Amino acid sequence: MVRNLPANWDIETELVAIGSGIGGLSAAITAHDHGAKALVLERSEQVGGVTALSMGEVWVAGNHHAAELGLEDSVESGFRYLKRLSMGYGNDLAILNKVVHARHALKFFEERIGLKMQVIRNCPDYYYRTTEESVAEGRMLEVVPFAAETLGEWQSKTRLSPQMPYGLTHHDMFERGGVANMMKWDFALMGERLSKDERCLGPGLAAYFVKGVLDRGIPMLTGATAQELISDGERIVGVRMTQDGKDVFVKATRGVVIAASSYERNQDYNKTLGQQLELGSMVFSTIDGANFRLAGPVGARSARVPDITSLGFLVPGEEDEEGKPLWRSALPVIGQPHTIVVNRKGKRFGNEAFYRSFYYTIDIIDGGDQTHPNFPCWVIIDSQVREKYPFGAITPGQDWPEGLGAVADTIGELASTIGIDAKRLEETVAAFNTHAEKGEDPEFGRGRHPWSVWMCGDPFHKPNANLGSLVKPPFYAVELKRMGGTAIPAVGLLTDHHSRVMGWDDKPIAGLYAAGNSVARMETGAVMQSGISNARGMTYGWLAARHATGNPSGLLQEEIKRLGL
Amino acid sequence: MIEAEQSVLVNVGIDHVWHYVKDMQRWAGMMPGYRECTIIDANDSRWMLKVGVGGLVRTVKVLVHVEEWDEPERVSFSYKLEGDPVQGAGSYAACRKGPYETEVALRVRVEGSGPMAPMWEAVSRPLLPRLAKSFAEKLKAEIETAVGAHP
Repeated sequence: MVRNLPANWDIETELVAIGSGIGGLSAAITAHDHGAKALVLERSEQVGGVTALSMGEVWVAGNHHAAELGLEDSVESGFRYLKRLSMGYGNDLAILNKVVHARHALKFFEERIGLKMQVIRNCPDYYYRTTEESVAEGRMLEVVPFAAETLGEWQSKTRLSPQMPYGLTHHDMFERGGVANMMKWDFALMGERLSKDERCLGPGLAAYFVKGVLDRGIPMLTGATAQELISDGERIVGVRMTQDGKDVFVKATRGVVIAASSYERNQDYNKTLGQQLELGSMVFSTIDGANFRLAGPVGARSARVPDITSLGFLVPGEEDEEGKPLWRSALPVIGQPHTIVVNRKGKRFGNEAFYRSFYYTIDIIDGGDQTHPNFPCWVIIDSQVREKYPFGAITPGQDWPEGLGAVADTIGELASTIGIDAKRLEETVAAFNTHAEKGEDPEFGRGRHPWSVWMCGDPFHKPNANLGSLVKPPFYAVELKRMGGTAIPAVGLLTDHHSRVMGWDDKPIAGLYAAGNSVARMETGAVMQSGISNARGMTYGWLAARHATGNPSGLLQEEIKRLGL
Repeated sequence: MIEAEQSVLVNVGIDHVWHYVKDMQRWAGMMPGYRECTIIDANDSRWMLKVGVGGLVRTVKVLVHVEEWDEPERVSFSYKLEGDPVQGAGSYAACRKGPYETEVALRVRVEGSGPMAPMWEAVSRPLLPRLAKSFAEKLKAEIETAVGAHP
């Protein structure tokens, strides 16, 4: 290992967390509560990271909240569920490690920082009813609304989400019919929460952890870019960071935790690591692969699992806080009734209401003619959608923005406008309509996953919450673009069960840890489950700091013995 | 419907304040997120603003119509967002507090319409007081700078 010690240290601490999402903040809080000094470095001007952009779901199998509600679950069941999702691309020990420890990390933060979580009622696992060991509810948790005024001067520096309706909880939304039934939501409650700055979903989750850091007096430096790890030749002992254009050397006697998310805003890495072409992104610009640039030079090993390319679109006139066009996810839109997605042949190509299936088809390559047969693609809706459901940020009663796709009075005209085969599209819509009216989709089985109904269906629409015919003009078409999966990466740093970053020699790199989306997804492998990202941030940050402070968890070994693995 | 009211004491006489605010282009320029203003006629203008709500920045176009110019004390206006089912009204009221002091009270109201009216009002609720406060502070600062505040 290279030796690059500075002549002098500018700051001395015991644990440095790089990144202020749930992974970095969990590590800093845990280190502090195990007697160590900690410091958080955040490259942007706001804290909370990608956690604050998320829906705030935290997937924890066998958690005590579910048990209190009498919902049956266990570590073994959660392990077997994730093992099935992993399809052999994950690692059994990593899967067990995540499942075993997430419930303990959850309790730790609830007891120490006042984190308040609750079961998202009636929220099923992605594969409920299609995979054994899935549950109808209980594993998906969310925060109780957080009073952000308690953050003091950090209130405005703690990140909000431009995409998520963070004035409402999942419970508030889904008891009134979910995302599709936005018209039925309690907006008086939302207005009250927004006025008081009571945060739900991802912004609420992030804020709880920011408060935990503030209550402990742990310094958080913003505009602080970690540039290089410092090694004494044996172990990682610090970080060189820049702030206000100056180098600052930070000594970390117990360890450095890389929790800087992934690389979605780096198109070069998207292509060369993720095998994804030109992605739009819902995350901010500092998510550009700093984890690799920091850990690579000290010999860190990376690992890759299968990944999907998501779909999204831009609504003219919308920007993020950095002044860049704001991406909207197609996920909640394309599974609504009266909606289909077609390729340039005018054909549907998958179950639009179940993105974990549908999005694997986007980047399929036809080697015969060197094309992506399913990209470009278009979402087609009729006027029933416009009357009843949101389309991204476009709500019923709002004008269709100029420049957002095509509008036509017939399906044939619509096809001609967007340049696809009119006859084929008419046939596709006619076939879809015939079956949709009976609540069936024999071609792709849309509407059979309970999660699809929960996420993007209209439970009041009969006979099938995800299927409705396209019959009412005018019709609309919006071209969908490739989009990243909100920083959930194909490739990350390989870590062991204490969150130590591994070298290519299969030995842990002393003093170096990683958490959150900086870590390779060896606990999910082929297929992601919503809520895992936040859970792995919280869990791996906690594990890293425990090990760094001399309190490593022994629970994995106990579980291995207990389960006879 | 939601409303916000904001008062500010300007250290300039009421006639000078009026001289400044009678220009609608200046009103638009004092709005947070101002981008451009097109004057249509003496009473109508079209403003383009970038409005920030919780991390989202959205360009909105607002048609503003002055209902009444009542020199030097009062202006009443109404407005409508282009493309969004949102409209409203408001007023500017100036009160002489002394030869070099004018109290300005701004009042603005937002009304959503259509099936999502409650959503538009919910989103506007935290935004409106911030906009009114920012506008009032800028109004005071600009007039006092332009005219010269009385010490």
